Amino acid sequence: MQFLSDTVALSRLQFALTAIFHMLWPVLTTGMAIYLIIIEGLWLKTRNLDYYRHARFWSKLYVLNFGIGVASGLPMAFQFGLNWAPFSESVGDFFGTVLGFEGTMAFMLEASFLGIMLFGWERVPPVIHFISTILVAIGANLSTFWILAANSWLQTPAGGVFVDGKFVVQDYFQAIANPFMVKSFLHMFLATLETSLFVIGGISAWYVLNRRHAAFFAKSFKVILAGLVLIAPLQIFVGHLSAEQVYHYQPAKLAAMEAQWETIPAGERADWSLLAIPNDKAERNEWEVKIPGALSYLLELKPTLDEPVKGLKEWEPANRPHMIGLIYYSFRIMSGIGMFFAALMIVSVIQWLRGGLAEGAIAQQRWLMRGWILAAPLGYLAVETGWIVRCVGRQPWIVYGEMRTVESASHLPAGEVLFSLVGLTSMYLVFLTAALFFGSRIIRKGPNLELPAPVVGGQPKLGIDLAQHERDRRPAEAQQ
Amino acid sequence: MEPLQQFLPQVWFFILGLFLFLYVLLDGFDLGVGILSLTASSEERRSILMTSLGNVWDANETWLVLMGGSLFGAFPLAYATILNALYLPAVIMVVGLILRAVSFEFRENAENKLVWNIAFGVGSFLAALGQGFALGSVFEGITVDAAGHFAGSIWDWLTWRSVIVALTLIQAYVLVGSTYLILKTSGELQETHYKTATIATWTTLAGAVFITVTTPILSEHARALLFSAPMVYIFGLIPVLGGVLVWLLLQSLKNREEVTPILWTFLLFALSFIGLGFLIFPNIIPPSITIYEAAAAPSSLVFMLTFIGFLIPIMLAYNLYNYVVFRGKVVSDAYGE
Repeated sequence: MQFLSDTVALSRLQFALTAIFHMLWPVLTTGMAIYLIIIEGLWLKTRNLDYYRHARFWSKLYVLNFGIGVASGLPMAFQFGLNWAPFSESVGDFFGTVLGFEGTMAFMLEASFLGIMLFGWERVPPVIHFISTILVAIGANLSTFWILAANSWLQTPAGGVFVDGKFVVQDYFQAIANPFMVKSFLHMFLATLETSLFVIGGISAWYVLNRRHAAFFAKSFKVILAGLVLIAPLQIFVGHLSAEQVYHYQPAKLAAMEAQWETIPAGERADWSLLAIPNDKAERNEWEVKIPGALSYLLELKPTLDEPVKGLKEWEPANRPHMIGLIYYSFRIMSGIGMFFAALMIVSVIQWLRGGLAEGAIAQQRWLMRGWILAAPLGYLAVETGWIVRCVGRQPWIVYGEMRTVESASHLPAGEVLFSLVGLTSMYLVFLTAALFFGSRIIRKGPNLELPAPVVGGQPKLGIDLAQHERDRRPAEAQQ
Repeated sequence: MEPLQQFLPQVWFFILGLFLFLYVLLDGFDLGVGILSLTASSEERRSILMTSLGNVWDANETWLVLMGGSLFGAFPLAYATILNALYLPAVIMVVGLILRAVSFEFRENAENKLVWNIAFGVGSFLAALGQGFALGSVFEGITVDAAGHFAGSIWDWLTWRSVIVALTLIQAYVLVGSTYLILKTSGELQETHYKTATIATWTTLAGAVFITVTTPILSEHARALLFSAPMVYIFGLIPVLGGVLVWLLLQSLKNREEVTPILWTFLLFALSFIGLGFLIFPNIIPPSITIYEAAAAPSSLVFMLTFIGFLIPIMLAYNLYNYVVFRGKVVSDAYGE
């Protein structure tokens, strides 16, 4: 239990836990925000009340997740200073700027228009409501952009130099548009979208399977399936591009992802390891299953390598990532889920083309629907494991090649960090359980299919529980 | 010092002050309503209280996130040192804010709403308490070494005076929360909050007087500042204006006015903030590290100012729009009207 008195280890654990817990909520809301635009657009275009009821139903799940997301984001905003003071001081000129941008450009936009999106159906004209929904989605996705810009900078620092341990910015735009930024943002943008679409798909499938409002939920199922035709394959392609950039910029991380201890020189065939038991101490894999030549194809689309794949032994143990097994399996879980998603999409589209998703027929697709229910939580797992690869694989660096994680932690008494770690962890466990409970209650309760169309300035029916905002009593011409 | 190197940190000191002020004002009434909800006697009353916050609490809390991010960017040293010194109060505040937010969402879906209501109230209280201790340490000062890094011990923030500052801030939140509820409710519920507002005015006043009097007695820095040439007028004027505002507030409560109590309270908050600003300036880590020492590079400050400065009026405009859309009373079928 030596790590209990190790401030750096405890701080890392706390950051990892708070980030992993925080990620669970915005990953759904950022993607779902885009889905809500489409649903509301369909409602405005077709005036089919089912779409309006869809918007109202899904936004219940949206707000539950949003609230926990905002709350769990707070420790993220402060713990750079709390636990990583030397880091904050050293890179604050750039890193803090980006977090400031995220707050002003993204969070505030999303949080302010959320109120109108949720409670404003009868208080603002439809077009204003639609714009609010769009602004919520823009806000949510802008925060993905800024967080990925900041994190990518940690992976591939650019736009300035470190002078006496302090990062001096020379070109802000270059720092923001650092080498990893574009592809990493795209990868995460697609990940939030894909995760939330599979959650919506899985929940819709659950209703169809249980023959509750099957026709109603066939609608949302088809909307998300149409979206996934594009997104699922695109994500595999962008994921591939992301792995390529790791190969070029962070060879030690690639070696950890592949549990590759020995260097494979240029001109040789590189095998891809499918399963292995990596042993950190002995610097080898205890056991391994390999696919001959697959890695050379994955990296360069050639039977032999043009550039060598460096093995972990190229670096001193102090200069390379550890916990190789975690990185190796996290990478395989993430990419495996991506493949499974694409396969499920293809099978479902084939059924669709054969008429299997038509009203009356869709409820017969029992195995397909079960597959979708199984897929619902997998997106979260893929996102979390992806971030583990990205950040554990970056170690021992906090800023790749420039600043070590060990040097970046605040000099706090270990007991103090342990206190916050235990406090936050126990709270998160309670909240996760409660959120699952209340989320499933919303789902079991189902949509309100009697909900009438919204009438602006009409009888208010939009309050929370017993109470509600009083309706606008001014004469009609004064309203908006 | 170059004029620009002086001007930019001053601008950012002002912007951060503005963000913090908006946070204290707006989330202040959220937290106040949260604390007051612990005393609400029925589910209907609690429903009205919660509904009055439904569309605004997350935007209000976001001002704190903005402040945190901008402080990180504009004064990295201050962000690091202050949070290190205030580790425990910051954790209490964060835990409280999380509890508050999550309980709010869970309550909506829960059958046993009381449990989450209590969690909501306790969360609001803890958040206010953590903030109060943080404010207290502004008066006490933060021990730093030559490089400006935190060099004190983990319990520095806890003194008998910081306890009083924390309690005063809680009273002030209850006051602004009460005046918000006066604006948003009617009938018996509104009447209750005329009473809580009146009590909170007196308790806040007591705390504020105590802090104002003890600060120059205990702090050499404050004493020196107070009796220097232009400052003596400013610090002389603040208590006078404060007294007038308290009188106006009490009158408006007595006359059962609806809109004016919250306006007078806002002005009282603004006045305290201005006083605090003059007391701290030009330091950002009281009592010794100035904004010029803690500031990021001028290019950083300019870059941030270009974007964030441009967005401030836009943010203010759409926040205001949100309040306009949801203006009016919160009512219940079974209560009020």
